[in-house]
Amino acid sequence: MHAVRNIRLCTKDCLCLYVCPTGATDTESGQIDATKCISGCRACVDACPSHAIFLIPDEYPLQQKKTNDVEKALLTLSESKTRQEQLALTIIKTSDDPIVRQLAQALSMSNRLLAEDVLREAGYMLPQSQNVKDFLQSLLDTPQPEDFPIEIVEKLLNIL
Amino acid sequence: MKKYICPICSFTYDEAVGIEEENIKRETKWEDIPSEWVCPLCATNRVDFLEEKSDIKLNEQVSFSKEDEANTLRVLSIEEMSALCSNLSKGCEKQYRDEEANLFKQLSEYFKNKGDFTKDATFSDLSNFLQKDLDTNYKNAKNVITKSNDRGALRALVWGEKVTRILSSVINRYDKKKNELLENTNIYVCEICGFVYIGEKAPKICPVCKVPNMKIAQVKRR
Ligand code: SF4
Ligand code: SF4
Ligand SMILES: [Zn+2]
Ligand SMILES: [Zn+2]
Repeated sequence: MHAVRNIRLCTKDCLCLYVCPTGATDTESGQIDATKCISGCRACVDACPSHAIFLIPDEYPLQQKKTNDVEKALLTLSESKTRQEQLALTIIKTSDDPIVRQLAQALSMSNRLLAEDVLREAGYMLPQSQNVKDFLQSLLDTPQPEDFPIEIVEKLLNIL
Repeated sequence: MKKYICPICSFTYDEAVGIEEENIKRETKWEDIPSEWVCPLCATNRVDFLEEKSDIKLNEQVSFSKEDEANTLRVLSIEEMSALCSNLSKGCEKQYRDEEANLFKQLSEYFKNKGDFTKDATFSDLSNFLQKDLDTNYKNAKNVITKSNDRGALRALVWGEKVTRILSSVINRYDKKKNELLENTNIYVCEICGFVYIGEKAPKICPVCKVPNMKIAQVKRR
């Protein structure tokens, strides 16, 4: 477990700087240096008056496997939602009526959120899950267009 | 005193309370509300409201059709890959992994630009998809998921179906009123569940996912 700071909650009282035995809380980025943080110490968590610091796990547990039926039912929905998003995006691109574009924008945002939610529940909640790694690997294993950012996928596979 | 519930967004009219913002006094009977009155959140007609019973069931069960039993899952479309990556980017953000969040975001944008923009697109095309979702896709999914007792997935379906009904009602209203629907008012999207609201000010909390309205974003006209 290491400490992370929610910058939106941080009120810059800086008590965390004074209690940390390793200086991990004192960084220019506002985030706590995970490499210096002592696992489970939590001195800063308890000191912070704004409840801005939390401990999070270094490794996340394996995700529960979804049954095939469930996954399929959810993917039927994700397909529908993403096609609706695509229609809305096409309307935004092709219409010259600002009100039509505004409505289409709202519909595209909503459908993106709906698609994300069902995909998350279809077994892609945790970025570290095997499903996600398989997905990334499949991008490398199949032919991709020339402009495909292979380096990003490789990097992700490396650091996740 | 009775309660009446909106079948689309679950807004509840409580006779005992009335609606202060609309000058409907406490203890105003449902029958005394004008018939042109519409749901303040989603504009559903008054006649479509249902009296709240303790065992209210908005979604009847349909029998599950075993369409295809094939076990292999299909590959995701480009558009789905974009949504998957933006979702994973959010997941990384929650874990305070900024670098990964950023990489997934870039991937998501890449796929988004590769989407198919060549097909004709109208609001009525969207309407057809929404109808199919409501008529079959959500019902099938609910059957399968209720059996497997997957509460997270069930939660996604309950929210998703409500939002889908609302989107469908928004498009119907647009169909009738055209630009007048939005001309002198605002439109908002809940950044958590996708709930869409048309009106002056966003509701205090999202009626679908209950998040406070700092997470409900206004969609600007450009
Ligand atoms: S103690 Fe809490 S509020 Fe103060 S600087 Fe540290 S994180 Fe921010
Ligand atoms: S948990 Fe301890 S070591 Fe880690 S940042 Fe907080 S005070 Fe420093
Ligand atoms: Zn309603
Ligand atoms: Zn919401």
